[in-house]
Amino acid sequence: MLFNSDEFILLFLPVTVAGFLLFGRGSRSLAWAWLIAASIFFYAWWRPFNLVIIGSSIAVNFAFACVLLRLAREDSRRRLRTLVLTSGILFNVAFLGYFKYANFLVIAANDLTGSNFVLAHIILPLGISFITFQKIALLVDVAGGRVESFTTRDFLLFVLFFPPLISGPIVHYRELIPQVHAAKCRFNADMFAAALTLFCFGLFKKVVLADGIAQYVSPIFAAAAAGEVMTLPHAWFAAVGFTEQIYFDFSGYSDMACGAALFFGLRLPINFDSPLRASSIINFWVHWHMTLTRFLTAYIYNPIALALLRRRSAKGMSTLSSRGSSAGAFVSVLVWPVLATMLVSGAWHGAGYTFLLWGLLHGVYLIVNHAWRQYGPASTPPKGMRPPFVTFIGFILTFVAVTFGMILFRAPDLASAVNLVKGFVGFHGILPVRDVANAAPIQGELVAISLRALAYLVGLLVIALLMPNSLQMMSKYEPALYIEKHAPQVAGVGPSFYWRPSIPWMGFIAVLAAVSMIRLSGRSEFLYWQF
Amino acid sequence: MTDQDIFDALSQILRILLRNESVVLTARTTRRDVPGWDSLNYINFIAAVEGKFGIKFRMADVESFETVGSIVEAIKARKGA
Repeated sequence: MLFNSDEFILLFLPVTVAGFLLFGRGSRSLAWAWLIAASIFFYAWWRPFNLVIIGSSIAVNFAFACVLLRLAREDSRRRLRTLVLTSGILFNVAFLGYFKYANFLVIAANDLTGSNFVLAHIILPLGISFITFQKIALLVDVAGGRVESFTTRDFLLFVLFFPPLISGPIVHYRELIPQVHAAKCRFNADMFAAALTLFCFGLFKKVVLADGIAQYVSPIFAAAAAGEVMTLPHAWFAAVGFTEQIYFDFSGYSDMACGAALFFGLRLPINFDSPLRASSIINFWVHWHMTLTRFLTAYIYNPIALALLRRRSAKGMSTLSSRGSSAGAFVSVLVWPVLATMLVSGAWHGAGYTFLLWGLLHGVYLIVNHAWRQYGPASTPPKGMRPPFVTFIGFILTFVAVTFGMILFRAPDLASAVNLVKGFVGFHGILPVRDVANAAPIQGELVAISLRALAYLVGLLVIALLMPNSLQMMSKYEPALYIEKHAPQVAGVGPSFYWRPSIPWMGFIAVLAAVSMIRLSGRSEFLYWQF
Repeated sequence: MTDQDIFDALSQILRILLRNESVVLTARTTRRDVPGWDSLNYINFIAAVEGKFGIKFRMADVESFETVGSIVEAIKARKGA
């Protein structure tokens, strides 16, 4: 079931929340059991067979977690613990690998060898990439003694809780379950209002903003795939427009997930914090899909970098410092871990050459950013004290780099990516081939960019870059974990727009909700739901 | 070695790493409190601390240290083990 569907908004969510609060009046255990049952229903809705697949994964992980729980208490059996943990992680990676990459690997093998194997099409179980990562994090936590005990109920709740189930935020057991133990399972007017508001913000971002720009962006990618030569304006419109689309789509989804969780008194970690305002690539990743960055840093970057650092210092070689490190140290303990991490990130996002290239590109971006910090002009003042134009140049470079990368992320195949990239850098001419008059896509002909489309593009840019974001406005009610408290001002100046449960805010949110529900009739899907 | 000695040693390591003499770490300090202490410098810091105290942290610990205080606790546990 998707969040932006009538059945979820009008039936599933109200019934689940009402049942939860009703059971909560009698017994908390009953309320949580109800939530688990509802989550199973939520997951099975799209394709009941998925339950069998995901159920087997849950059962195997439960067994691994139980064994690790015993071993974590005995320090003498470290080797065995590491072995069990490694097997558990490998199981999850293989599980994800089979469903997500088997088809791609067969295609890649065919490309390389000229063979022509065909594999029966494998249907991707909903949200498997997110579910897999969440389980890996759980096993690491249990093995490391960070989770000291769990009951079957807590385990099931953690792996099935529906709000973050299919597209994150990737939440840790140690973040979610202690909240379950402390929750009252009772109606709380403020919390309820905050949950509803955040859900409506997210819904609006998804169905009005993201889907609104998608109707202009998708035809361009379709035309590029059909072989239409892309000139500069179209390529830029596609790149910037898709960047806006995916930002509002995914951050809207995350808002809906955090809002839905809050109905049950549970807070999920923040996933987006106005990333498009970043003035460096490092900063972009600190604010974009934050729970994924956190996961990849903790489980891929850190172990590789730490192992390499340990090896270098054991040999008495120089390690990294914050500036002017030796080239050897920079290459061996920064370049390799960053490239490895971003390649994994690319592969995780999708099975295909374009995603691998996108990951590689961001790896290179990050290395350039780190090299600048290491070897660039020495007197970079700390953040906040830099001259505004330096920050502005950083912002422009970052924005162009990110939007350029989005071409690879969105393009359906390498050929259309190359087509658009050439257009983006001006290889195909500066002016559109045909005149700008008609917004309707014509078969085989380049779609014209209408004034309306341009207005949409600029409008979304203003919202993404200048307006306070939803979590910022709601920060006083902590609708999510780890919200940085910066004042919700427009463009960093003027009055702060703090949300509170009041009549004017209710009116505003009601308008957003009404517009969203009207737009929902022309439904679309989340970009991230298939990942 | 007292707790204060450990805090002093950690502060000194981070001062050298960040080239910032004003760094003073306490039990409650988090990475967000220290300008420039990003994920890259964090892992460098961890490696330097391991070298200084002759210990190896668990990966799960490295990932989940919330405060400098929890790092000090882990150092004491490792040294004692």
